[in-house]
Amino acid sequence: MGTVVGVLPGLGPAATIAMLLPLTLKMDHTTAIIALAGIFYGARYGGSTTSILLNIPGESSSVVTCLDGYQLARKGRAGAALGISAIASFVAGTIGVLGLMLIAPPLARFALRFAPPEYFALMVLGLVMVVFLAGESMVKALLAMFVGLWIATIGTDLFSGESRFTFGQAKLLGGVDFIAATVGIFAIAEVLVNLESRGAAELFKLAKGLRNLLPTLQDIKDCRFAFLNGSLIGFFVGALPGAGATVASFLSYGLEKAVSRHPEKFGTGVIEGVAAPEGANNADASGALVPLLTLGIPGGNTTAILLGGLILWGYRPGPLLIQEHPELFWGLVASMYVGNVLLLILNLPLVPLFAQILRLPYYVLYPLILGISIVGVYSVNNSLFDVWVMGLFGLLGYLMRKLEFPAAALILGMVLGDSLERALRQSLMMSQGDIAILVTRPISGVLLAIAALVLCLPLVRKVRYWRVEAIEREG
Amino acid sequence: MKHRAMSVAIVVAVLTALSGERAGSQEFKPSRQIEAVVHTGPGGGSDLLARAIAEMLQKEKLISQRMQVVNKSGGGSAVAMSYLAEKKGDPHTIGFFTGVWVTNPLTTTEATVSVKDLTPIVRLMLEPAVIAVKADSPYKNMKDFIEAAKKSPNQLRQSGGSITGRDNLMRLLIQKATGTQWTYISFPSGGERLSNLLGGHVHMMVIEPQEAGEQIRAGNLRVIAALTEKRLPSMPNVPTIKEQGIDVTIIPQARGVVAPPAASKDVVQYYEGVFDRFAKSASWKQYVEQNQFEEGYLKGPPLSKFFDELTVLMRDVLKEAGAKVVR
Repeated sequence: MGTVVGVLPGLGPAATIAMLLPLTLKMDHTTAIIALAGIFYGARYGGSTTSILLNIPGESSSVVTCLDGYQLARKGRAGAALGISAIASFVAGTIGVLGLMLIAPPLARFALRFAPPEYFALMVLGLVMVVFLAGESMVKALLAMFVGLWIATIGTDLFSGESRFTFGQAKLLGGVDFIAATVGIFAIAEVLVNLESRGAAELFKLAKGLRNLLPTLQDIKDCRFAFLNGSLIGFFVGALPGAGATVASFLSYGLEKAVSRHPEKFGTGVIEGVAAPEGANNADASGALVPLLTLGIPGGNTTAILLGGLILWGYRPGPLLIQEHPELFWGLVASMYVGNVLLLILNLPLVPLFAQILRLPYYVLYPLILGISIVGVYSVNNSLFDVWVMGLFGLLGYLMRKLEFPAAALILGMVLGDSLERALRQSLMMSQGDIAILVTRPISGVLLAIAALVLCLPLVRKVRYWRVEAIEREG
Repeated sequence: MKHRAMSVAIVVAVLTALSGERAGSQEFKPSRQIEAVVHTGPGGGSDLLARAIAEMLQKEKLISQRMQVVNKSGGGSAVAMSYLAEKKGDPHTIGFFTGVWVTNPLTTTEATVSVKDLTPIVRLMLEPAVIAVKADSPYKNMKDFIEAAKKSPNQLRQSGGSITGRDNLMRLLIQKATGTQWTYISFPSGGERLSNLLGGHVHMMVIEPQEAGEQIRAGNLRVIAALTEKRLPSMPNVPTIKEQGIDVTIIPQARGVVAPPAASKDVVQYYEGVFDRFAKSASWKQYVEQNQFEEGYLKGPPLSKFFDELTVLMRDVLKEAGAKVVR
């Protein structure tokens, strides 16, 4: 069920759980929350499918998966990418449940130490990941990122209630819808670019035989670190009420690329580039249950609905929930173990089936992509305006592709811009305008130091490269 | 004879016409699914309320058609309200309002539809609020807090939502009444507001009793004042803010139902009837108790009067607070 929801763009887990909530009132309460939580993490499995196959991110957290996943599909390795994302989700889901079971209360207490300055540092860390998203030109990546940051400012400013860059349009008061923009930039731009080359029949190479439809042992070996990285980052970021799966997936992708032995290949279709973000967005689901179950604090929309459900079923969600209703907590934990295994069993056989979509000729495939995109984007807010936004961003994405600007950098700016600005302004309010608050607090200080290191990394690499060249010349 | 026959014919004709007339003004019954518009996304306060009510209406068999919640989020409440305005005269659409529907058009140029343009149906309830601090904080009552705020102006911090929200407006009123100043930090989600209070990054927050209840029971929070006219039944030991000598207007947070503009009389009557019965139902009573709401059922002219008075009050408070008021 969750997988289906994830596959359909626009129909996010929040909307689905909200729709199904009434049905669960007739179920046994523990069963009901298990079913809803199943949708919550199951959707994260499915979100990757359209990203990989059609370059349509089904949810904001699977945007990063498009980067390498779709390229893998074009290389004829769609099956491997889908397979590895299912396996990554399984590993991350399992690690997430372990974490939920073993360290939920202390982790929740640690997460409470995150105030605006810490969030600011975390967002800065995310933003410097642009270094890794840049292709040839760092300048172009930075430009794209700043445009993204600007787009993020559109809408009503939380602190003053002023509207910014809305051009008198009530529909822009809520900002540019993220799903609409990303589907435009990825999927629509992709269709436009491919329409140009008329002989695009050979769009996807297709592997023959069942063996090539699943990831190889070598793939899994390559992804060992990615699984772990994604799981840990995802779980931890998930436990923070103010971050979210999208941030987690960008962070783990960046980290994966930073430690990779072949960072230059990221973005051209490397399997770790799928495993890390997919792991992260799955572990995030278990992470998000940490503040919900231990403190009664919902981190996002979906967990807010689960919280509403708990109240509706007569529980009193809060710090005493686990103590007073251990059956609920342990039932959920047990079901997540089983659920993860089931999802893996359900998803792996579907991989070759989904991969068949790519056999469709382009004159069927493109209208299909357009159709899914329009329906998906419309259904997020039932808004035709969002469809226009998608079209506009499609054009923007097309131009960026032609001029070789990295679209991912723009998306990164859009994802983080809002939280970054908010955290900075909140921090400065806390300190009465003293900017030192950002570096004097231990957690934010460390995070900012890491960010500074990451920024220096390409420079170090370059220097080392020059030295090697110089030595070789002398030799 | 002829004359008589004719008069009979006339009487019959008139009667037919009258009964025809009556058939025409037959009471409204929804013939298809009812759309319930809310201004938050799935999981927001209005969304959760609307979904719970849809469920209860079905359970109590008060409506014959399904009620489908439609999320029109964005622009405070502007997107949902302009959507309702577009549905002018549509009997199968209703909206769930909150206080934002009154304040948002006052402060936002783009929000051109005001709650007066829509058709009021009922006010269902009021959401009370309390002032909470961390359980280990030195402030045992409002006096402690106000004194601390006097000693070090702007050093104390409150977490809350947008600056036009009730929590900030209450802060401004209390500041004015006591001659103090402290800092207000906006967080978009309730989860962040609460976790910043629990983490000790802010000193107090205006919170709903249901949300605070579990944290109090676990020994994490302490409530130092009720922002209500009378003490809350669930917290009989917590004095109201007025009892503590701070005389401020209590800004009500109301929730209820409106219809699109120009709803006909029979449509209004139909929905009033449904919610009349609903407000008396066992499911609703239990829901109100569980969530620690205050009953505040209103309809007809008193409801219109409530909207008028609230609009005037909010305009004054916002102006006093230094917010930009555009209409």
